[in-house]
Amino acid sequence: MNHESHGWKWLLCAPALVLLVVAASGPLLIVAVYSFLSQGNMGGVAWEFSLDGWFRVFLTRDIFDPENVSLNAANLQVFWRSIWLSLQTTIICAVLGFPTAWFIATRPPSSRALWLFLITIPFWTNLLIRTFAIQELIRNNGVLNNTLLWISIIDEPINMLFTDFAILLGMAYVFLPLMVLPLYAAMDKMDFRLVEAGYDLYASRVRVLWHVILPLVKPGFIAGSILVFIPSIGSYVTPRVLGGGRTMMLGNLIALQFGQGRNWPLGAALAMVLLIIVTIALVFYLRAVDREGGRPNG
Amino acid sequence: MSVEIDIHGVGKIFGQGSAAFQALVDVSLQIRTGEFFTLLGPSGCGKTTLLRLIAGFEHPTSGSLKIAGEEVAGRGPNQRPVNTVFQNYALFPHMTVAQNIGFGLRMQGRPRAEVEATTAEMLALVRMEAMADRRPTEISGGQQQRVALARALAPRPKVLLLDEPLSALDLKLRKEMQSELKRLQSETGITFVFVTHDQEEALTMSDRIAVMSAGRILQLGTPHEIYHAPTGRFVADFIGDTNFIDVTVVSVDGDRAIVTLPGGASRPARLPEGFRPVIGETVTAVVRPEQAQIAPDGGDMAAMLVDSVFFGTDTHLHLRLPDGQPFTLRRQNSGDLPVPSPGATVPISLAPDTLRVLKG
Repeated sequence: MNHESHGWKWLLCAPALVLLVVAASGPLLIVAVYSFLSQGNMGGVAWEFSLDGWFRVFLTRDIFDPENVSLNAANLQVFWRSIWLSLQTTIICAVLGFPTAWFIATRPPSSRALWLFLITIPFWTNLLIRTFAIQELIRNNGVLNNTLLWISIIDEPINMLFTDFAILLGMAYVFLPLMVLPLYAAMDKMDFRLVEAGYDLYASRVRVLWHVILPLVKPGFIAGSILVFIPSIGSYVTPRVLGGGRTMMLGNLIALQFGQGRNWPLGAALAMVLLIIVTIALVFYLRAVDREGGRPNG
Repeated sequence: MSVEIDIHGVGKIFGQGSAAFQALVDVSLQIRTGEFFTLLGPSGCGKTTLLRLIAGFEHPTSGSLKIAGEEVAGRGPNQRPVNTVFQNYALFPHMTVAQNIGFGLRMQGRPRAEVEATTAEMLALVRMEAMADRRPTEISGGQQQRVALARALAPRPKVLLLDEPLSALDLKLRKEMQSELKRLQSETGITFVFVTHDQEEALTMSDRIAVMSAGRILQLGTPHEIYHAPTGRFVADFIGDTNFIDVTVVSVDGDRAIVTLPGGASRPARLPEGFRPVIGETVTAVVRPEQAQIAPDGGDMAAMLVDSVFFGTDTHLHLRLPDGQPFTLRRQNSGDLPVPSPGATVPISLAPDTLRVLKG
């Protein structure tokens, strides 16, 4: 291979590289820098070094006694709620996604493509519209409550909208395909004769599931969990529309600082903290994958 | 000798309606305790389906299947005293060699001490002690094969089912594993049911062979019987090389007939059990290439040499009989014998008592 053709290949990569640098690394760098600047008067930032943004992520000063520093309970609660709701979403997706993926993986090969296609159909519609549709379903005089009232299962509407339940429902709905697809990929690679081997060696159906199938599709669970957890923890639309103003998640808190809060350094620092949480989750993922390494399926 | 597996009138149909495929047709068969039994046939003949029925992965559409005297219909593979060695071994990739071998025992709920003792014993039996803590992906194909055997033998099944277990190995390793399998069978005393499409493997290893085609058992017998006394054209053709000769029946006496060979000579031939051809009928007779030789004098038939192929230990002479049919003669190269040149007429004599008439 000569030099010239090598140069050409770089040129082919260039648009993607430029896009990555400008659109991903650039804003990230700006956010990182902003988190170490002072708050501007009318929003924005003042070009003056300050740790105030980072300070306020975790701590708070008493308005009347600036010497009195305490933990910022409100922010920490949002962190905790975001992590907890995202973990729950991941678990719900895993529990619902496993049988779904199994169903698809055990169909005849000719019809699997159709099922996978059906799984991806929700992506065709705008997220906001789908989320409002859920709102319509679960509000007090929405479809679900009216139906339950009509068949006399309940006497008065169940308050579902603007609760953690609503957020979980919305997030599980939105992110379920991201769990199903990697699980399906892992099952598709799995050698079904291993299931027969387990069954042949005196394992009951439940024990085959536990001792053979689950360990073999673990890589799919790990990939799916990370694909669900990461966007969950940063989600904005779902907690906004289904959680109302009452239940805030990290995404909403960050948006608030850049908007009404007019505290860009704090918003930037919160965004950096979110990035750190996601990075930690990814490190766990990579280590889990490493442990699975050198162990192909089937 | 007692019967371990009793298969009676078993049929298996896959699919329904116009897509239905009859994999097994009225198969009846008794496999004896402690024997090395082989199901032999080309791919698609139903041998693997029959094995999967015994294992419990498939259920018969009709007929009955007894293992150790008990009807097993409706019982899953985990409720049968039968273990399988799979074609691709199907070792659990997430477990070590030792964990793989102990899996069946753990699932049976045996005490930990027993699991460990039996696993160690099995590792020794297949000479894999040094590999106990390796993963299946870290050992060779032959070693995986041994582990698969140990895993299936560990729970001490009454019957071991082997689904073409040697087909993935190269020739040298396959020869080694063939004697290894025979050794394991005689050491454990377990009934082996072996599925293969390799006739040589079947002949060298089995106590008895069932030759299958199109979902039926065509012939059942010892390797000797199957090779020397094939009853039908398919078996004669599938096992070893055979010459088919059209002969005319002159007379019939019990299980013998006098037949006229191409060229006019009359010679005795054996008849298959229960077959009595009509005098004057043209039937097919078989004789193996090594059962014919170049006659020093007139012989039984005269044939024209088409060509000869040198194989080292022997030479194959491809001939044409007077009626135009091809005939192969296999001559051992016990000395540097002269080979006739193509076009020459070669007198052939058949070894006594080797000519056999086929049924139909």
